Amino acid sequence: MKRVAHWWTEERRAYLLLVLPAVAVYWAVMAFPTVFSFILSLTSYNGGPIFNNPNIQLVGFTHYIRMFKDQYFWISLKNNGLIMAVSVFGQIPLGFLFAYVIHRKLVRFGDFFQTIIYLPCVISTIIVGRLWQSFFSPYGPFTEFMQKLQPGWENELFFDPNLAILPVLFVILWMYTGTYMIIFLANLQKIDPALIEAARIDGATEWQVLIRIMLPALSGVIVTACILAISGSLKSFDLLYAMTGGNPARRTSVLALYMYDNAFRHSPKYPLANAISVFMVLLSFALILMVRFTEAKFGGRE
Amino acid sequence: MLKKSSLLLLALFLVASVFVPATLAEEPVRISVLNYFDLTSPGAERELNEVWYEFSIRNPHIIVEREDLFLEPFHQKTEAYAAADRLPDVIYMWPGGRSTSLHTLGLVKDLRPLLGDDAQYYQEAVLAPQAGGYLAELPQTMTSSHALYVNLPLLESLGLSMPKTYEELVEMVPVLQANGLDTILMGAQDDWVIQSCLFSMIVGRLVGDDKLNEILAGEAKFTDPEFVSALEFYAQMYEDGVLHRKIMQTSYAEVNGLFATGRAPFMIDGDWKVSNFLTDQTTGEALIPVGRQHEFMMTIFPAIPGEINTASSSGVVGVGFGMNSKIEAGSAKEAAAWELIKWLQGPEVQKMRLETAGTIPSRVDVTSDQLEPLVVERIRYYEDILVTTEVIDNIFEGEVYTPINIGLQEIGLGFATPMEVAQRTQEAFDDWFARQ
Repeated sequence: MKRVAHWWTEERRAYLLLVLPAVAVYWAVMAFPTVFSFILSLTSYNGGPIFNNPNIQLVGFTHYIRMFKDQYFWISLKNNGLIMAVSVFGQIPLGFLFAYVIHRKLVRFGDFFQTIIYLPCVISTIIVGRLWQSFFSPYGPFTEFMQKLQPGWENELFFDPNLAILPVLFVILWMYTGTYMIIFLANLQKIDPALIEAARIDGATEWQVLIRIMLPALSGVIVTACILAISGSLKSFDLLYAMTGGNPARRTSVLALYMYDNAFRHSPKYPLANAISVFMVLLSFALILMVRFTEAKFGGRE
Repeated sequence: MLKKSSLLLLALFLVASVFVPATLAEEPVRISVLNYFDLTSPGAERELNEVWYEFSIRNPHIIVEREDLFLEPFHQKTEAYAAADRLPDVIYMWPGGRSTSLHTLGLVKDLRPLLGDDAQYYQEAVLAPQAGGYLAELPQTMTSSHALYVNLPLLESLGLSMPKTYEELVEMVPVLQANGLDTILMGAQDDWVIQSCLFSMIVGRLVGDDKLNEILAGEAKFTDPEFVSALEFYAQMYEDGVLHRKIMQTSYAEVNGLFATGRAPFMIDGDWKVSNFLTDQTTGEALIPVGRQHEFMMTIFPAIPGEINTASSSGVVGVGFGMNSKIEAGSAKEAAAWELIKWLQGPEVQKMRLETAGTIPSRVDVTSDQLEPLVVERIRYYEDILVTTEVIDNIFEGEVYTPINIGLQEIGLGFATPMEVAQRTQEAFDDWFARQ
């Protein structure tokens, strides 16, 4: 009794009071659905009531095997990989470059460029998708422009399975680079200007300032940006849904769209869709751990 | 004293005027509705005013909570509601196809007992049993999923005339290409379009419903020569230049403007596409103005070599509204839901749909003298059809026709052969059949 009283201190009570609501919310909206999704992926559930349904049986990892055997899963995974590559190696470096150029006032009218680079982020993704779909249409402005340059040119971008995703990657780069630019710009402003000034007085070049001061100081922010880019890439859905619907022949599909197709398009296959979502969660964890590991090994200190 | 009693009387009158009508009036009934509605269609405003607003005026005791969705989002929401066992009280449905599970799982009621003597106002054919073996939705029309739309002046300007056979159509291709035109337009970025609007017609011509029913019964296979030959004919259309791979990069909405502006003399789509070309009552504008509508014709695809059905088109009994089977029989909610369903297929609404979308009425007592030329053409178009065959997604489950939908795009892009698509479809069918 005394031990309980000893444990139940005011400090612990305050701690629990502060933490429990957040834990409860997290469990309700994040952890529980993930665990429940995993359980459903092991069953034969295909609609109707979930509890007390005699038709639901445990089927083990059947749906995971089915998923790995499906060619559209690998197409979607490959496209997610490409989007991730564009996000991590395209959006982040470009975002940083723009932020650096604007912050160091290497161009005039910095505010103007900041606004136009960020502008795509404030337009609805569905509208952006529709606009670019029209732009890249075989009857759209892109085709007409190319035909001006090269008469008789046929817009076959979407017909080559290796090229079909290219217009989407371009739009992703155009749309989200501004977000990273803003993140980097905000953090660049936190670096003490006296530090840079001192380095310049000591004879450091602009390149040395960038490599020796700016980048190490921002390594934590770069990791955060990478995590955002990876998670954003894995949940890519709305833009592709509006722009291509995953077609032609599912060649521009991604995991989220592939999951959605199995859950809601045509005949529902909920356990398979849940298996895909569990795979996406595990992939996210693995990739984020990889980024953390890379930062711990090679990153600088802020 | 008089003043006091007058005030008391006035107060009593006021209180009574508030409460008495409420107690005498019918108890309000709330019904939820999932409606399939294209808010951008030219007839949208008339539908809102003359269908939904008018119903609420006529039935103040029925409170309709309506959710409007269109194309894929509608189907996906329906699946989500069905999976969660929370289907709305009244739901827009197909007689099979994407709504098959609503029929076969008994999620909606048999409407025939509720229809009673009112059946006399409907064409006998539209009241036939649907996918679940009963009248799950009260159809508003008959629908042809295939129609060949023709731009007559464009054809004439090139010295061409309507082809009667596929060979004649192929002969036109070089002339059209030389003039920078496509032969047939389709908005087939969504994968259902080719299957529903073109391939089902080809299957009807080359395979026939009997064979399809044998496949459905497990007595024949998709890999049999008849079905494979239908896929091969479809593949041949790309080789002949009749179809171009561009159709799979053209969205379903984009094709309307392309056809109206003469990018090709032909377009293939369902007969419902007509509604996109009619006059928008709110703006008075139309993609094809009334004065030009007589220049456009609707017909069926020319004769295909080896066809067993001549002048056939694929079609289904039309869409309509069904009622959630969980609604208690004889309840006020059932009466309210049935009142709405009856209204939605009543003479006023069917007349409005005929005028705004050219929807052929399922009732025998509906006509109008305010039809645009393209609506009249849609009615005439049915005279061209000698045989109506099945639409593939109306008789097979989603997991069976999905490999066909994707496979048709893959054939067009050269990613798969007809036999590979047939084999994949058969495998999907075998999986489904084994579970029945």
